[in-house]
Amino acid sequence: MMLKATIDADILKESIDAISALVTECRLHTDETGISTRAVDTANVAMISFHLKKEAFESFSSTKSELGLDIAKIKNIFGMMGKENLLALELPDEGHKLKVSFEGYQYSITLLDPNTIRKDPNIPNINLPGKVVLSGSELNNAIKAAAVVSDKIALGIDPATQTFYMVAEGDTDHIRREFGKTEVNFINGAEARSLFSLDYLKDMGKVMSRAEEVELSLGIDHPANFSFYLAGGNGHVEYLLAPRIEAD
Amino acid sequence: MERHCAICKGKGLCGLTRCPIKSRFSTLAQVRPSTEYMGCSPSVFIGSYGYPSVRGGPLLVNDSDLPTDWLAKGFLIEDIARIRAGTIRGMSVPDRFPGTLQEIALSSVPLDVEARFERPVAPDLMFDGTVAPVGLSGSMKAFSVIDNAKVALPVDRVTSDTDLGANEACDILSRSGIDVYQISRLLSAGLLGRKRKVVPTRWAITAVDDAVSSGIKQEISRYPALDEIRLFEGFLFGNRIVCILLPGDWKFEMVEIWDAKSLWAGDKDYLVRDDETLKKKGYSPISGAYYSARLGVAEYLKKTGRAARVIVVRHVTGDYWAPLGTWVVREATRKAMAGPYLRCPDLSAATAMASQKIGFSYWIKESRLLAEQKYQRTLQEFF
Repeated sequence: MMLKATIDADILKESIDAISALVTECRLHTDETGISTRAVDTANVAMISFHLKKEAFESFSSTKSELGLDIAKIKNIFGMMGKENLLALELPDEGHKLKVSFEGYQYSITLLDPNTIRKDPNIPNINLPGKVVLSGSELNNAIKAAAVVSDKIALGIDPATQTFYMVAEGDTDHIRREFGKTEVNFINGAEARSLFSLDYLKDMGKVMSRAEEVELSLGIDHPANFSFYLAGGNGHVEYLLAPRIEAD
Repeated sequence: MERHCAICKGKGLCGLTRCPIKSRFSTLAQVRPSTEYMGCSPSVFIGSYGYPSVRGGPLLVNDSDLPTDWLAKGFLIEDIARIRAGTIRGMSVPDRFPGTLQEIALSSVPLDVEARFERPVAPDLMFDGTVAPVGLSGSMKAFSVIDNAKVALPVDRVTSDTDLGANEACDILSRSGIDVYQISRLLSAGLLGRKRKVVPTRWAITAVDDAVSSGIKQEISRYPALDEIRLFEGFLFGNRIVCILLPGDWKFEMVEIWDAKSLWAGDKDYLVRDDETLKKKGYSPISGAYYSARLGVAEYLKKTGRAARVIVVRHVTGDYWAPLGTWVVREATRKAMAGPYLRCPDLSAATAMASQKIGFSYWIKESRLLAEQKYQRTLQEFF
């Protein structure tokens, strides 16, 4: 058996949502420690690194292998799952169909050939000095507020006042949200400011809203790294998002 | 009051009883006070007025009703307007003469028909920017098809399958080499899908453009990205189409500019834009032309096996004095994509070249895709 596991439906759904925020298909790696994937979106603007430890599962056994998942399809299938149900996954050796059973339903999901999916990207080696930790739902709310007036948002840290700020400029309107020391935990309050596309942040924000804490790393006109845990600490997600250049 | 003609296109949103723009063409239609018609019927027409209790029937004219034929024969806008002004819509409730509409729609060649009208056919110009205009109409009291329909094999197969959804049917037909002109005819005559009913022609045209190009879109999204910037250009009846293909995943944006005093524009230039990624939300404000242009580009990308980001700029001058239907945009785009292309070294060269072809550059700041392309960085730049 390549993979045999049971997992809480909610945890699986959360994991699928985290991946589907960026890509419609991915290479999923399994080994004895759990499952993981790393993928960039088709425009090479955002990357997800995802790892779900075997402790997130009720039961888990797997050999080292690589599966091609049609994330968009799986998201549709799992859309009908109720919460707090157990779900069993099974993939025989050399199998191309993932068996999924829950609530009396038995699915057989055809996998994609991993070779047709883009190879795992390398992780860029970048130095992001500004580091803050804030609540996922606060972050998502600020993103949603910004999306009303603009399609881009600046994230930054002002070391002088020790504040983390988000600014969105629309054609006619402007919105600014500052987080002081009481709301944000400054790990490193180095100066930082970069501009990002809200198209991406909106989708990522929905996923991050479920995380109690998100660790955000920023630089000056550099990518942003969002790191947070799911599934009671047993799942870890990292989003890396390339910046926009400030318009001239 | 601000004019909305470019959006309305004769639907009557202004509240006037007669569309002032439509009135300009009514003089073209020559009245032929005949109560009979014997000749060809190349196609069917279903009106959208009063939906779902619509009226429609055969198009009666000794012509193929195929824009590709008109272009192959080198017709000018006047020639086409004249043919269409003399075309009759034989009207009745759609099931008055059972099976006849379906037979005409199924056939790959025009069929010989006979029609008798309650009163002599009268000028009743119909156009809306999506459908090719039709000049005359008459209420039919008798109608029969004399010929036998010549049915292509894929058409026979798909229309016989009542478990096949309409979207999928469009996809299969287009893959089998049936052009969108016949597919929309089939959809309009109620020959596609599970729950079959006649579909107003203007809706069918756009629905088929959308269904076929959405299918192709999914396919090309899996192709490797184009590796250079290409610029295409086509011109047809006062419509200039400039198309920029950029390396990247499928994204599509269309900017449409109507010159001041051109067909649907008022006293000022009128610009409307719309875009999409793999998913498209809602109906485009550009209306049918958006889907027709998208089809033309998607067909090209499918043929070349590449994914790309696409910006289509349509510039309409006063030379486009009769609204011939969205097929003009479809064929202008196809013509552009079939022609040679310019390889551009970078984005600013491409936009400069496009502006030069269109004659002005203010469209650039309206394009969201260009802005994204210019300002959004990729992760590679940080490796």
